[in-house]
Amino acid sequence: MGLAPRVAAGFLAGLLLWWTGTPAYNRLLVAASEPALRLSERPAATRLYAEERRIVVDRADFASRSERPSLPGDDLTLNVILLLALSATRRRLFRDRGVLHLLAALGALGLTHVAAVVVAVKALYATQLGSWSAAHYGAVSRNLWVGAAHFYRVAGCWAVAFVLWWAVVRPGVSAASPPGRPGRRRGPRRASRPRERG
Amino acid sequence: MAVKPANDHVIVPFTERIVGVSTAVLRAVGEPAVASGTRITSPSFAVDVKNGCNGVEAMLILLAAVLAFPAPWRSRLAALAAGALVIQVLNLVRVVSLFWLGAHHREVFDLFHTAVWQTLLILTAVGLFVLWSRRVGGRGARA
Repeated sequence: MGLAPRVAAGFLAGLLLWWTGTPAYNRLLVAASEPALRLSERPAATRLYAEERRIVVDRADFASRSERPSLPGDDLTLNVILLLALSATRRRLFRDRGVLHLLAALGALGLTHVAAVVVAVKALYATQLGSWSAAHYGAVSRNLWVGAAHFYRVAGCWAVAFVLWWAVVRPGVSAASPPGRPGRRRGPRRASRPRERG
Repeated sequence: MAVKPANDHVIVPFTERIVGVSTAVLRAVGEPAVASGTRITSPSFAVDVKNGCNGVEAMLILLAAVLAFPAPWRSRLAALAAGALVIQVLNLVRVVSLFWLGAHHREVFDLFHTAVWQTLLILTAVGLFVLWSRRVGGRGARA
């Protein structure tokens, strides 16, 4: 299969996985993110729920009748489509340990999703809860959390997928190989011939 | 991009141009669309083209990658010009198609808005960079 059809197939596979798997994945994500958030809380008050494609943020100290804020969970995990589309550029993805590399990249991507949820919840706490935010977060920490959340949404999430593809999944052929010079080959290497000396 | 003066004096006027061109294309294909600032409206649908939907992020990602790659400046500038053109043409298709989908197939608008077009645009920027970096290869020693 040529490069373009492989990328298209990877893109569609990623889209399908992301679209159908987001509700279940969000449940997994909140189960992992909630303990991570609580590490920095005394007392631990945050409770996260997955509601279809959104992540609802609850706290033990919220008034019982107040509306619960939520995050678009699917926006935070969208980069899986890019990772799968890029991974499909690798020839023989399902051979030569390609699947293992892909699974390792997906696992690492999952860890970054946990970090993204933590940062998004902190940014929400720092700026979206009116006087509560002002009382608990100073100007520096407000800017820090919002800046981190914004950076992830604008560039970070794509950069993570790109780096994982480049470092983990991508074939050993260097993208920077000069034209006409073959890149590193996979598979058994020939013994190098000793250089003749004149 | 998020800095307010840059946003107000560069990004918003740029987005208004995109909206103007997109509206012209929509009218050419028979949609009764009207542009107003960064908004496109019609009797059946309206969108506000915001940051994230103007292709600037994809252009910035390409810019960062091309500037970081060791290559001659001439090659970098050519890549940036060609890349910006490709990204903006694709973004025009994105805005027009999203408006059309919103007006006629609202049920799939979110899927295309959130996932399909965002990823396609970034994938295009990444693809352009990878293709260009393979072409220029190690010739950047002089850069």
